[in-house]
Amino acid sequence: MIRRPSWTSWLLGATSVVAFAGFAWPLLADAVPGEARTAVPYVALALVPALVVAVALTLDREMYTARTVALLGVLTAVGTAVRIAGTGVGGVEAVFVVLILAGRAYGARFGLLLGMTTIALSSLLWGGIGPWTPFQAFACGWVGAGAGLLPRIRVGSPKAAGRLEIAMLAAYGVVAAYAFGLIMNLWFWPFAVGYGTGISYVSGAPLPQNLASFGIYSLITSTLTWDTVRAVTSLVGIVLVGPAVLTALRRAKLPAPRMATPRSSAPRGDGKRTRRSTAPDAAAVPPTARHPSEKV
Amino acid sequence: MRRARLATLRTAVLVAAGFVALRVVYRLVFGGGDGDGILLVALPRVPLAGPFAPIVLFGPITTGGIVSAALGALPFAALIVAIALVGVVVDLRLLLTRGAVRGPIRSVARTLVIAWSTFPALRDSVLRVRVARELRGERSLASLIVPVLEQTVERAIALGASMEVRGFAAARRPEPDCEHPVIMTDAALGFDGSWLLEAVDLDLAPGTLTLVTGPTGSGKSTLLHAMSGLFQHHVGGAQDGAITVGGADRISTPPRETAGFVGVVSQSVRLSFVAATVEEELGFALAIRGVAPSIVRARSVEVAAELGIPQLLDRDIAVLSAGEACLVALGAALVCRPVLLIVDEPLADLDTAARERVVGVLDRLAHEAGVCVVVAEHALAEWGEVADARLELAEGEVRQADCPAGAPHRAASTPAVAGGLEPTARIVGLTVAYGQNVVVDDVGFDLRVGEVVALTGPNGAGKSSLLQAVARPTGCETVVIGGVDVGAVRRRTRRTRRQAVALVPEAFDDLLFATTVATECRRADRGAGSGAAAPGTARTFLAFLGITDPADARRLLDRHPRDLSAGQRLCLVIAIQSSARPQVLLIDEPTRGLDAAARALVGEALLRAAADGAAVMVATHDRDFAARFASRTLELSAGRIRVPAQTDAS
Repeated sequence: MIRRPSWTSWLLGATSVVAFAGFAWPLLADAVPGEARTAVPYVALALVPALVVAVALTLDREMYTARTVALLGVLTAVGTAVRIAGTGVGGVEAVFVVLILAGRAYGARFGLLLGMTTIALSSLLWGGIGPWTPFQAFACGWVGAGAGLLPRIRVGSPKAAGRLEIAMLAAYGVVAAYAFGLIMNLWFWPFAVGYGTGISYVSGAPLPQNLASFGIYSLITSTLTWDTVRAVTSLVGIVLVGPAVLTALRRAKLPAPRMATPRSSAPRGDGKRTRRSTAPDAAAVPPTARHPSEKV
Repeated sequence: MRRARLATLRTAVLVAAGFVALRVVYRLVFGGGDGDGILLVALPRVPLAGPFAPIVLFGPITTGGIVSAALGALPFAALIVAIALVGVVVDLRLLLTRGAVRGPIRSVARTLVIAWSTFPALRDSVLRVRVARELRGERSLASLIVPVLEQTVERAIALGASMEVRGFAAARRPEPDCEHPVIMTDAALGFDGSWLLEAVDLDLAPGTLTLVTGPTGSGKSTLLHAMSGLFQHHVGGAQDGAITVGGADRISTPPRETAGFVGVVSQSVRLSFVAATVEEELGFALAIRGVAPSIVRARSVEVAAELGIPQLLDRDIAVLSAGEACLVALGAALVCRPVLLIVDEPLADLDTAARERVVGVLDRLAHEAGVCVVVAEHALAEWGEVADARLELAEGEVRQADCPAGAPHRAASTPAVAGGLEPTARIVGLTVAYGQNVVVDDVGFDLRVGEVVALTGPNGAGKSSLLQAVARPTGCETVVIGGVDVGAVRRRTRRTRRQAVALVPEAFDDLLFATTVATECRRADRGAGSGAAAPGTARTFLAFLGITDPADARRLLDRHPRDLSAGQRLCLVIAIQSSARPQVLLIDEPTRGLDAAARALVGEALLRAAADGAAVMVATHDRDFAARFASRTLELSAGRIRVPAQTDAS
């Protein structure tokens, strides 16, 4: 939609980097001087929600067109329905399929917001609001945004390009599923395990030791189970419904950004007029070319 | 609501307890169970190898270890409960509704409000598509997800348009020139360099009702939405020449900025509802302008009274009948007292009583309240004495035409096919009830191969319920087709059932899910099996449309099914549902929203299906269509069948 990165792009990028630091606080806390170190977890817990609000404020102005809001709204409903239905059938989280395909079709910003609104609504409805909600919002937002940032494919025939795109998105779905699990585990790990165990986060300990503990924690909590289920669901879902869903989404285009230059009255293409008004006050311009619809 | 929020709190307490328990488990499994107090179990320590070398599993478990693990978990558990408590005290939904009207995150809040209110529609859509999928005999994931998503996207576009014309996100609101609602001077309208309409000159006066007529695709909606601005600003159409609406230049003024004096009622009123209740819906345009809630409420009540629907104010928007929905959409468009009211095909879904009511309302608005009313319509009969002018669209031009005389055009041709001798299908004692409400009451009739039977009756007479019950009977011995009791056919043998009876539901688009017509046809052929002498769905479809040229056929088959015209789409679905060569083919309301040419196309397709060896039954409230294509008519009223004397040709 927008070629040159605008100031909002920089702002969103910076917000994401800071938010990522909020996720990775257990690995970064050692950079903080001794006395302040105990405050790091609380700073992380407060920082990420604040950044969610920052993203909402940044993108709100940009999303303020009727069609974008309507599309975002109904897709949020779809994502939420998929997420809540998924909880009912043993955590088969198919919500990534929606996020990835929508992010791909409508761009990174749309994907970022869709991830966040989906988490917000499903948490509201399902009653799962907790300290983890802002973290989930960011992580899901990144999943959607990432799909929008993947390169455009311009090789061979449209058919081949379409297949390659689905393959790329499916692969991305698998990577995203595991990456989502890892970063969600990373910030939560010290809280979940507490102190005094073999896999506890130890402030000030050498990095390899903490990484090993985190590795065990992550493997047993989600990587082998939920994340794998999610990766398979995303892969299968994108391959099965991806082409049709992408087509459906792309058929409903997003409007041009609000700040775009006002439309010219001249039609795009070679829209030459053939008939002119015969009314007395009409401009007296003779027909210039044949009717475009007569073209073969 | 309060109870729901307390349930949330209970969930949070359970989650917090689970969190504490899990922390204890981690402590015990990963060698941290040792501590003061009594030794409970003396498990051996199991060291891990490789990169995880320093980590030790299990070890002795003491009460002190457990207590310390649980205590350590308490702060975070308290945080979980505290956040849930905030949710109980603060009504987040109310906050969202307020935040959606104004403030720095109004887009995000509006998004969430829309998502919230889309839920019921989404559930209905899933249920409907599940039935459609069963009717088609499909079980793939795509056949469920794609139609639901298509409906979702369709809703998004309709919703976006509806919010736009009601002033959502408007930056300025110019004052209207009330004396000149619409002036078009040498206007041309089109897409990407090809003009749909050219040389349009119009000057509509206040206090008039103008009818815009013409076949589907002739540009009725284009002309209407060139006035509303949706054409130029929402669907990306191009305009040449000058169009001013209430003095505002249409190219530089988006619809949202003229919402204060241009009212728009879209073709699909249900899709464009923004709110959850009728009152909220009526007041939406005022509320998003930031008008005080008490004034919004007073004005909503006033509009409801003007339209004679005060009893609907508290009603849930999802439970309105077609006629009520149309009146509510009209009311929502009238709430800002428009100078110009644009109404796109308001009568398509309505029965006779509701049609008269809507026409009466528009008549009063134009001729008593002095509004400039523009209506697109292809049924002219109802507008006889009401319309002041008629614009007919044909071949890219707008022509002044005579006003309809009030006499509906009668179809001349006679029913074509006579019935065979032996009944193919025998329906006996069929009853459909929803709870206490009996919709179809002990109905019985026969159908014969080669005939087209029309099932008529007013809205709500039970026509659709009857067809659904024939296609998916629940009781035994009620529907017997070709000697097979359809109700007794197991779900496993869907193919047998599909060879007996197929239904094209009213929302026939629900059956389409592929990206090209050709794929759609191939799926249908595969689903139908190797079926003896089946001509192939694609061939049937092309025959319905009368296409013989291979190049034309190729081009048509490569298109996206949803890019076809409504008439073509319906023919495609009829071809798909005929693929298993059913003995009985049922079609629910095939003429809704179709113009004369498309109706003829569909009618011919039905005659062909009948000639190919099916008994065809059509539920319709279109008497002309029934008279023209059906060999006999059954009339359903209050759940029972009557055979009208004059049309009983057999």
